[in-house]
This record gives sequence, structure tokens and C-alpha cells, in this order.
Amino acid sequence: MNLRSIWNAIRSVAVKEFLHVWRDKRILALIFILPPFFTLLFGYAFEATELTGVPATIIDRDRTEQSAKLAELLGKKKTFAWKTTKDTGADPDLLRLGVGAALVIPRDWTSTLEAGTPAPLQLFLDGTDATSAEELEGRLREMLGDFQGQENVQELTVKPLLEELPPEIFDVLKNQPEANRSKLKVAFQKLVQPWKTDTRILYNPGLRFIDYVTPGIIGLILQLLTVTLMACTIARERESGTLAQLIVTPLRRMEIVIGKVLPYLGISLFLIGVTIGVAHFHFGVHFRQPLMLGIICLLFLLCSLGSGLLISAFCHTQTQAIQFAVFYLLPVFPLSGAFAPIERLPDGVRFVSEIFPLTHFCEAFRMANLRNADFSFIAGDLLFLAVGAIVTCGGAAWILSRTDA
Amino acid sequence: MSDPIIVLQNLRKAYGSTIAANDLTMSIPRGQIFGFLGANGAGKTTTMRMLCGLTKPTSGHGFIEGLDVWTDRYRIRSKFGYVAQKFSLYPDLTVTENLEFFGGAFRVPHETLAPRLETLLAQMDLVEKRDEMAGQLSGGMKQLLALACALVHSPPLLFLDEPTSGLDPVHRQQLWNLLYELGTNGTTIFVTTHYMDEAERCTEVGFVREGRLLVKETPRRLKESFKSKLLELEIEPVMPALAALRNAPGVLDATLRSGRARLYAAEPGRLLADWQRAWPFPDLKWISHDWVEPDMEDVFKAWSQGYAELLDLPAA
Repeated sequence: MNLRSIWNAIRSVAVKEFLHVWRDKRILALIFILPPFFTLLFGYAFEATELTGVPATIIDRDRTEQSAKLAELLGKKKTFAWKTTKDTGADPDLLRLGVGAALVIPRDWTSTLEAGTPAPLQLFLDGTDATSAEELEGRLREMLGDFQGQENVQELTVKPLLEELPPEIFDVLKNQPEANRSKLKVAFQKLVQPWKTDTRILYNPGLRFIDYVTPGIIGLILQLLTVTLMACTIARERESGTLAQLIVTPLRRMEIVIGKVLPYLGISLFLIGVTIGVAHFHFGVHFRQPLMLGIICLLFLLCSLGSGLLISAFCHTQTQAIQFAVFYLLPVFPLSGAFAPIERLPDGVRFVSEIFPLTHFCEAFRMANLRNADFSFIAGDLLFLAVGAIVTCGGAAWILSRTDA
Repeated sequence: MSDPIIVLQNLRKAYGSTIAANDLTMSIPRGQIFGFLGANGAGKTTTMRMLCGLTKPTSGHGFIEGLDVWTDRYRIRSKFGYVAQKFSLYPDLTVTENLEFFGGAFRVPHETLAPRLETLLAQMDLVEKRDEMAGQLSGGMKQLLALACALVHSPPLLFLDEPTSGLDPVHRQQLWNLLYELGTNGTTIFVTTHYMDEAERCTEVGFVREGRLLVKETPRRLKESFKSKLLELEIEPVMPALAALRNAPGVLDATLRSGRARLYAAEPGRLLADWQRAWPFPDLKWISHDWVEPDMEDVFKAWSQGYAELLDLPAA
């Protein structure tokens, strides 16, 4: 069997398969409208993930200059939309107050600061959404740190300390040899100066979430389309009886599989181009290493199309195929790391998420695009996708060859 | 020409305890139009699917041109065309696109495919419909297109599973004329059918019942296998007459043929003599009687109902 004859056979199947999609105007509209639309939708949804304007209240029971300053500083941050509420004296009822967070400055807070034993501020958070609650708490800690770092607090805590020291101490200090004095100075400074970090953010210096989430958006849309479309192809033929007709031709199983995959691969590659275009021109996402990204996309698509085909070969009707596709796709959404790092998942679940092509696609895509990493960092994910493509397509061919159509 | 194109050796297919094909053994020479007859569920389609390599035989063997129909199924696929019982072409592809697809699938070289398509379109009378979607064609045209797709690689053997069921008489006629044409050009045709007028056109027919091959003969020999001519009575009113005759002793069955009651009985001569002496049905008026040659319908009835006493042909 020469290559030309194999290619002709594959081409016959590919042309036929393409015509099925081309003639189905509704599917065609779905394919060409949904990806750019979803990219815009998800893009806007994930462009800014910082929580802003969370309704919150400060209940100031201290009522001093100090507490007013704190309230003023907090008011400048956009995370919270502060409103003033009446203080009933009891713990704030968030639901009734219509806020997501309440900060209570306790009575005599300033005095405790001055006494060097600062009383804790009370923060009440709505924990329904655990992630947001954690984030708000962190944000507030940060703000308190800012406040503390400001000079007035330094003055408040350090100055009284110095004033209370007996004057003899200074004489003792003066009489110390130079070396000892500078040692003491350093020790004292260590005591009163807060530690600082000099942070430099690498790979995604703007901390743009959209840059992080772009492969997730591309992968999710493409996975959804490829798996569902592909899942119908063989099942449809089985349902309508054309599969028997196909099987009595001298077409080899692999020729059928490749012929069926090719048109969808072409369509998907085009759609990835569209999605990347929208991400780049509309959301300003930059793409590095185009060749590497191209290989990652190609392998991911083959793997994804293969999964769809495997489902299709296994199912007897299109209805079954769609059900299987949905149940295959469902865990992929939360577990693939498309929108949140899989590092957040517990170990056992992370193991499961490793079997999804989308997980490896996102990993590899971020490596190549954000971290500008070379091939050695991506090889593992590429290998997984390549093996996945071979196993799923081969599996589909194997089922076809065993079929009692 | 001498060696048979199809050979079956104890070919058997069982689905659990149901035996769809029971140790079928026969051979079919080249150039025949072989009619495979039997009631629904007799095992015709299962046998054909085994021969096409679509279903794995439970035991036994089938050979096409000396190649095993299961173990060599990939190699024999270019040797035959198959028209399934159910319309199984792509309804969203045009007539030409369907033909082009199957041409490619059967690896018809590009240079020969184009003229072959024109020949087939002309032969099937589908030239004007060439750009119509296959799904939009009438039932008869769909079947002609299915036949064209099965013939696109000019196979020496053609399997047709009830190709004319649901077709109007005009298209049935057209289809059979085409089959004849193919037969005269040397193509072997293996066709299943319920229609006895079609069975009559076959060079040889085989009867299956409950998965067993009962007989395989030429239609002429089968018709001659009746021990005697069949007795036909003209009686009025005819419908009550049929009911009464069926219950009469010595009568196996009676059917209505052109307004007359045709009797299936082991000893029709004696029945006639008895009735001429004493007519046992006072409510029915006997007008006349006649002796007729059995046709294929009678053959089918006798074989499918198991009226062995009417026949002097040993079972296969």
C-alpha cells in the first residue's frame, strides 16, 4: 500500500467529514460565534479578579484621633466600600447591616497602643465564600501593616518607651566604647524597625490575571467544542447505519480515524487563532515562542479530538455520546488548573487532574508563554499530550476494528 | 469460472441461545443471481453480514474467492459491494459526493473514478439529480444510489439485502433490470428478498427457515418438485369458502389467488373425487375446478411452512 493511496483514502474521509460540518448551518454558527464570544466574556470576567467595592463598615468604639486616622486610611483603599452604620454594642450582624465585612475598633484601643499592649482589632467576615473571606482578611492585614508602619504609630510606641527610660541609661551609653555603642544601636534599631521585603515580580510583572488565565480560556473552549463535536461523529454513523457501509469498504481503521480528525483539527486550529487574536488585540495579552505554542496547541487538540473519538467509538447513539462527553468534561473545569492553580488542590485530587489533557496544556502554555521557558521545562507535558493523542486515537481505531457493527 | 465464488462450511451464528444461522453449507458459482429466501428472522441478514465481515461467525467458515470472510475480511472488501437493508448513505451529501466518497474509500484511482461516476449516474438514471442531497431523493432513487455506491469499484460480487422492500413496482422493475444487466456482464449477485416474483428471476434460490438451509435449487426445479399440480376451486362466496376449506380434513392450507381458492393438500386428486361425490359445504356454491402449475409463491409456502408431503425433493 503506497502513501499516495493512503492519503487518497484519508482525504476521502476528511472531505466527507468536513461536508457534514459545513452543511450543518447551526453547528457552523455555533463553532464560529461561540469561541470569540466566550473569549470576550471570560476575558472580561477574569480581567480584574481583585475584589473591589466590598461593602464594609467600621464600628469605632474608641473614638480617638488615632482611631479616626485608621478609619481615614482604610477609607482610601478601593477594596472596601465603607459605610457608616449604627453601633448596637453587640457583635455586628453582617446580613442586617448589609455588609460583607465589619471592623470593630474596641474601646480604649489607643490607650492599649500607648501602653504597649495593643488590643486586637475585631474583624467580622462573611465566610460563605471562603476564598473571598481569606482574601479580604489578607488585604486588611496589609492595610494595618501600612498604618502601623506610619510614623505616628512609631511615635506612639517608641517615643513613650524612650521617655520612660531612666536618664542614667543614656549616660551609661555615652561612656561605652565606640564599638559597643554601634552594636547597641543596631540592636535597638532591630527591635523597633519592621522587617521589609524587596519584592520583584518575575514572569508576569503586571500581575495580570488575564495573562495567567488565557490558556485556560483557549483550552476550555476548544476542549468543549472538539470533544462534543468529535463524540458525535462515529456514534452518528453507527446510529444511521452508515458505519456498516463504511466498514465494508477497504478503508483501514486508522485511515477512518485520521480522516475524521483532520477537518476538526483544521477548524480547531483556526479557532485557536481567533481566540488568540481576541486575547491579544482586545485584552493586550502577549504571546511568546509562537512555534512552541503552536506545537503545544496541536498536541492538545489531537489529544482532545482523540478523547472525543474514543467516546464516539464506544457509544452506540449520539445521545449516549453527548452524555459521556459532558461527564468527561465536567471534572475538567474545576480540576484542570484552567482558572486556578492546581497547587491548591489536595494531593489525591491533583493526581486525578494530571490525567486531563487541559491540565498539561495550561501548564505547558504558561511555561512557554509567561515564563518563556525552553523545551526542557515543557517536554514532560508535551510527552503526556503526545502519548494521550496516540492512545485515544489508537483506542478508537481498536474499538472500530472490534465492532460488531 | 469453475470454482465457486462463495463457499459456506457449517457457518453458524448464535446470539445466546438463539441460533440465527445454523450450520449453513453451500457454494455459489460465479455469475449467478442467487436469491436467498426466507421469512423475517429466518437468518438471511445475519448470514449476509457474516459474509460481508460485519459479524463474526460463532463457528464454521465462509469463503469469498478462497479467502476467509472473517480472518481475511480486510482483504476481501475490495471484492464485493454491499447494499444494506436500511438506507445507509450520507443524506447531507449530494449524489455525486456520496459516489465520490465511496469511490475514494474503495481506492478507485482518480483517473478512472470520473468516467465511472458518469457511467453509473447514467445507468441509474440519476444524471439530473447529481447535485441533489441524497436525503432529498425518493425511496427508489435512494436505493439506486445505494446500488451505484456499491458498484463504484466494479466488484465481481454484489450483496443486496432486501433491495426492493418499500419500492414502487416501477423502481423494482428498474432495479431488477439493472441486476440482470450486471448478471449478464458476469457479476455474481447474492440477494435476499421476500418477493417471489423476484425469486423467480434468480438463477438459483436457497430457502432458509430458523437458520437452516432447507433447499438450494433453480426456480424451475423447485416448481417441478411438487408431486402434482395444485387444485384450484371457484367457489362462492369465496372468503367463507377459504375458511371452510382450511378446516377440511386432508387440506393443509388454502390461499386466495385471483378470486379462486388454491389448495395445498397431500392427495388433492382423492379430495376432488370425494367432493365430486358428496360436496360437504351446503352453504357454498361450487362453480368449477382447475389444475394449476405451482409458482414460486407456492414453493415458498411449501418450504417455509414445512409441507414436505407435497414435495418429492430431498432437503439440502
